[in-house]
Amino acid sequence: MKLSENEIRKITYETIEELGTNVSQDVIKEAVKKKIESLNNVPLSSINESSGKVILTSFGLNKPGIVAAITSALGNFNCDIQDLSQRIIGDFFTIIMILDISSSSKDLKEIQEEMRKTAEQLNIKIYLQHEDVFRFMHRI
Amino acid sequence: MNYEFTEILETIRMTEIEHFDIRTVTLGISLRDCHDRNLEITKQKIYDKILKYGKNHVKNAKEVEAQFGISIANKRVSVTPISIPFDSLTAEEFIEIAKTLDKAAEDIGIDYIAGFSALVQKGMTNGERELIKSIPFALSQTKRVCSSVNIGSTKAGINMDAVNLMSEVIKKTAELTKEKDSIGCAKLVVFANAVEDNPFVAGAFHGVTEPEVVLNVGISGPGVVLDAIKEAGKVDLQTLSEVIKKTIFKITRAGELIGRKVAEKNGVPFGIVDISLAPTPAEGDSIADILKAMGVEDVGAPGTTAALAMLNDSVKKAGLMASSSVGGMSGAFIPVSEDMGMIRAVQAGNLSLEKLEAMTAVCSVGLDMIAIPGDTPASTIAGIIADEAAIGIINDKTTAVRIIPAYGKKVGEMVDYGGLLGLAPVMEVRTISSQNFVSRGGRIPAPMRSLTN
Repeated sequence: MKLSENEIRKITYETIEELGTNVSQDVIKEAVKKKIESLNNVPLSSINESSGKVILTSFGLNKPGIVAAITSALGNFNCDIQDLSQRIIGDFFTIIMILDISSSSKDLKEIQEEMRKTAEQLNIKIYLQHEDVFRFMHRI
Repeated sequence: MNYEFTEILETIRMTEIEHFDIRTVTLGISLRDCHDRNLEITKQKIYDKILKYGKNHVKNAKEVEAQFGISIANKRVSVTPISIPFDSLTAEEFIEIAKTLDKAAEDIGIDYIAGFSALVQKGMTNGERELIKSIPFALSQTKRVCSSVNIGSTKAGINMDAVNLMSEVIKKTAELTKEKDSIGCAKLVVFANAVEDNPFVAGAFHGVTEPEVVLNVGISGPGVVLDAIKEAGKVDLQTLSEVIKKTIFKITRAGELIGRKVAEKNGVPFGIVDISLAPTPAEGDSIADILKAMGVEDVGAPGTTAALAMLNDSVKKAGLMASSSVGGMSGAFIPVSEDMGMIRAVQAGNLSLEKLEAMTAVCSVGLDMIAIPGDTPASTIAGIIADEAAIGIINDKTTAVRIIPAYGKKVGEMVDYGGLLGLAPVMEVRTISSQNFVSRGGRIPAPMRSLTN
């Protein structure tokens, strides 16, 4: 997590108030450092996004087992599938899923990485993108 | 499902197939508090400030790229026009400042830093004169620094003394970087009506009215517009304008989202979205191809200017609806070397310098990335700059000249920079003289347009 200057200033003021004005600068510096470090330990997923929704899109040559492979991989990361839709055109399939990853222990980047492996095994394409990009582009 | 199947596929198609990307996220940093009587301390202050705000710029942008699945082609930094805070320096000292900027850019992992600039539309201070003198040396001794000089504005007219000076500077820069096809000139822009929040390097700088630090976004996406036009088929121009607007609306929205997210991660305020269509040398990522899809046989055919005017106007209208923070240039860019379609049109003899000049009257910038013979006299270059500036100040728009008198090269030869700068055929320039006109010097007075109060 990155703190803005104002946030750091606020933490510093709070620390000075707690410790009183009689302590040396070094003591305050140490205390502020500790506080910031403890803040930084907060896992990213809990402060990262307003909505944990992610849209998964997959294409490729149709064959048995694709939905099974994708969903079992997602299940392993505790991703909740909220909606799923599929089209088959000729030999090709398109799958779109809306996922809630807020209860997953992994963040979007890690899930993307894992799904990339699944995509390689099946020789299909899988994209995961945060929902916001679709909301911004298609909803006013 | 909250989203239609087709909407989701449209977004995926744009990002994965049609080269839609965010062209640049540019962090503007004010250097106005970095002056010191001691040059070494000044340099340290500049370096520290750029690192303070910029050190995570690339990392943060990459994280946003992954999150939304939209790539950000360039992560860059612009700074206060260097001549303003450091007006007391000499040319030699300005070169030192350029090297400091270069080092800072390298250390935060960006390819270009812009703002080695001066704004001299009405007159020059001693410091500005020194900075301009230092440009050829600064650009030839650094890799990442970009420079721009504003020589005219609707309110001030055209400073012809500065135009003459800049034509010499361009020639000198070409000579000093002759080993690399005069690449220095690709990093040097001469402006009229320069904008203060332009995120597009090489012409970017962090204007004096801007905040301490700000993040601006430049979007791109000629490929997306091209495919939309092709798909629309044979429709009338009003309908075509609607098609362009709908497409631009969507990519501007995505641009603003990405910009806000990167700004948030950097902990800095978000500035503007520049809704320019900027081509790249990649196949299909071309403004020329859009104009051809609109119906002209090749760029340069009669009708090209009208097509470009409509494209540019549609881009602006859609952008305005999509974002309340539209700024920068916001239009279509027509750099020759960065657009395969333009290059082919020049090589086929369909596109001349004069037609390009006419096109710049209706699109966002000016004569951009154009190679001309190395033996073109400085007075002719001054004439070209003055013409372009005149289009800018009379029409109250930004125009720019980024011209490369390729040292030792003749018409028909190529200059090749690779990467985003691309390659350009050396174009023919008329050999009749501008000497007696430009050497009068002084200032072309501000036009009628300036008296709006």
